[in-house]
Amino acid sequence: MTAEERTAYLFLALLQARVGSSVLSRLGDVPLAEILAMPPAELAERARMAQSALGILEGLRRDFYPAVVYSRLSEEGVGVLTPVDAGYPERLREIPDPPPALFVKGRLPDEGMVALVGSRKASATGIEAARTLGRALGERGVCVVSGLALGVDAAAHEGALEAGGPTVGVLGCGIDVVYPRINRSLFEGVRRNGAIVSEYYLGEAPLAWRFPARNRIIAGLCDAVVVVEAPHKSGALITGGHALESGRDVWAVPGLFMAAECRGSNKLLADGASVLWDIQEFVDAYSSGVVEGATDHPSLDAAPVPAELPPAERAVLSGVGFEPTEVDEVAGRSGVEMHELLPALALLELKGYLGRDFSGSYVRRVAP
Amino acid sequence: MSVCRARSLSLFGIDALPVEVEVDVSAGLPGFSIVGLPDAAVQEARERVRVAISNSGFKFPTRKVIVNLAPANLRKEGAAFDLPIALAILAVSGVVPVEALAGAGVVGELSLDGGLRGVRGALSMAEGARREGLARLILPEGNAPEAAAIGGVEVYGVRTLRETVDLLGGRADARRVEPASDGRHAPVAEDFADVAGQRYAKRALEVAAAGGHNLLLSGPPGSGKTMLARRLPGILPPLTVEESIEVTKVHSAAGEGNGALVNERPFRAPHHTISTSGLAGGGSNPRPGEVSLAHHGVLFLDELPEFSRMTLEVLRQPLEDGRVTISRVAATLTYPARVTLVCSMNPCPCGYAGDSRRICRCSEAQISRYQGRISGPLLDRIDLFVHVPRLTREELRGVKSAEPSEAIRERVMRSRAVQTERQGTPNSALAGRLLREVCALRGDGEALFSRAIDRMGLSGRGHDRVLRVARTVADLRGEREIAVEHIAEALNYRRSRFFDC
Repeated sequence: MTAEERTAYLFLALLQARVGSSVLSRLGDVPLAEILAMPPAELAERARMAQSALGILEGLRRDFYPAVVYSRLSEEGVGVLTPVDAGYPERLREIPDPPPALFVKGRLPDEGMVALVGSRKASATGIEAARTLGRALGERGVCVVSGLALGVDAAAHEGALEAGGPTVGVLGCGIDVVYPRINRSLFEGVRRNGAIVSEYYLGEAPLAWRFPARNRIIAGLCDAVVVVEAPHKSGALITGGHALESGRDVWAVPGLFMAAECRGSNKLLADGASVLWDIQEFVDAYSSGVVEGATDHPSLDAAPVPAELPPAERAVLSGVGFEPTEVDEVAGRSGVEMHELLPALALLELKGYLGRDFSGSYVRRVAP
Repeated sequence: MSVCRARSLSLFGIDALPVEVEVDVSAGLPGFSIVGLPDAAVQEARERVRVAISNSGFKFPTRKVIVNLAPANLRKEGAAFDLPIALAILAVSGVVPVEALAGAGVVGELSLDGGLRGVRGALSMAEGARREGLARLILPEGNAPEAAAIGGVEVYGVRTLRETVDLLGGRADARRVEPASDGRHAPVAEDFADVAGQRYAKRALEVAAAGGHNLLLSGPPGSGKTMLARRLPGILPPLTVEESIEVTKVHSAAGEGNGALVNERPFRAPHHTISTSGLAGGGSNPRPGEVSLAHHGVLFLDELPEFSRMTLEVLRQPLEDGRVTISRVAATLTYPARVTLVCSMNPCPCGYAGDSRRICRCSEAQISRYQGRISGPLLDRIDLFVHVPRLTREELRGVKSAEPSEAIRERVMRSRAVQTERQGTPNSALAGRLLREVCALRGDGEALFSRAIDRMGLSGRGHDRVLRVARTVADLRGEREIAVEHIAEALNYRRSRFFDC
């Protein structure tokens, strides 16, 4: 019986990917095993599917040959987990709308996962925070889950990989589709050190609506979701919302007051998310015991502007903000002449006190 | 005698080559033909010359007239042979003394009433006449002051064919034109004193001027990129006399001369829809392109990513060798094109990436596609990359007066003098062994630079760029050795991450 149910789930997964809304949650008392035998019209009616969905259902039923699907998956080295499989993540069964099937490349850890999500166009500070958090979790063997997108997602995966920790990427497109393409090598790294998962079958395109839908899987897989940096109306906030619905911990990294990049994540804090203000406190909450070789993140008791720097560099450093600051603005704030200012900026960058974004603006970095 | 000769000159690139106009009038059916590789405009000289001679009150021979333009293998273009052809015909009829034509170069286009129109390349013609040992050059009045600037040849400006005949016959007062008085060192029109903020960009322009480095300014719309670039010629060293003459020759060859020597460094800002031949020069009747018109000055490419890639490809040769070679079926021409390249661009299609006051609406992919439009080889020729922020309100009001261009130019000239004495070229031309020799680092500098290479991920080319710019920064401070602070400053101008992909 299980094999038939498994195939039925697989069929539902293909159907949901086309219809665009959850069919599984509306099946009610329709026995799974009968789905593939039932006339499409009857199934559509009992699952209260829209008229347009009926056409998709009929087409899909006509072309659905389970043997072909399974053999193509195994050719591509893709595993499939459905709720009837033992390997289906327990955490995922608890959410309101679990995916009928999860395609997996690589090895999906059993538990102990934390999601790091945020804006694709995060500030240099946000990217840095995501990477640091990814590394801290990775060092303690906690699996970092994210969406393999640009910005915060990529930095989180990279941080985990740098620390040699496991990491899982959840896609909003077909399991074999690399999107965005610039992340190609990151995809490969994540697959080797953990897993890439998706509820979408081979070749499905990265359509806009699929990304918010995949966010429920990111939240569903994890014990906690950390929103690193998100503007107002961000996909990361959707992930946070899913996490709340499924009863997961929600954390947010406090962002710069007034910065548009941080308004969403800051609002989340105002609404009661846990404040991720200290890395040590955070990683202690999700890793068991002390781990050999992990970096300590003691509270930074150092003076805000270190006294050991030469006076000119100190003056320049205090003229750079935690938000990107143009060189001319630093000149205005610090009162240092341009021919002294420019060398000081580069020296501070080399010493690790400053970062520089693509437009040449400087930004304070917290941990040199 | 039935064969008479007049000496003329033909523009080839920006140089004038001698052309001998031979006229033979013989018995036979009346006719008029021109041989010696003439183009259509030269062929049409037959009608202009015939009518102009009649309308000037002379008689056109009613016999067989053959004009030969020698050397026969050189393609003759344009209408500048009208006047020498007419004079040689009149010499056959005995109206013009043959010996008067012998020592004079003649150029000019005739109109039907016998009046004269201007020609392109007067300065080059005068130079050619001097080289050919011609004592005198006769050309349309409007071109005379420009031609006179070169000296070494007597220049006569004439208005009509009749006046020219009188001049050669010794019946008119010689209207010899003297070189115009030297109007050098005119005050700079667009001065940095009027730019209150933008101290970072101004510093970068000073470094660019001092080392002859090419520069890319990026920044949101309205941040003043064009305004800054326009002020670069004003801080470059003034043109030397030789440079002035070269620049004038190019402008004159393009028909853009105003009759006097150009004594300010040119600033050319072609629109991004410009064609390849518009930029590099060429066309069926070849003219110098924008890159040559910017010779010894600044070529400003506003909105760099909007230029077609193919068009920009032609800049590779001039940026490398300082000249443009145009190959055509008939011949290969070379125009000089030693320019300082200044490019500007928005950081992204909407223009607001990295702006602290407006949110950029472009996706990462859009931004990298936009930036990827610029050809890598062109970027490799650019030493300084500078982001220009939007001006604040106080800066726009510009109440405070800043350092005038003249003061910056002083420093630039001092530093150029050091470079010329040390290596004979501006620092921007340093490469290979000479670069390593001139930019040797020691102790602290070497240590800092190695750290920078590791931490900032500098490529091989990026490495050379930083060294060249550091050399210029040191020269500006009058230092013999490149010190830590010079390298550190140069690091600010490096290519940012975005351009590397």
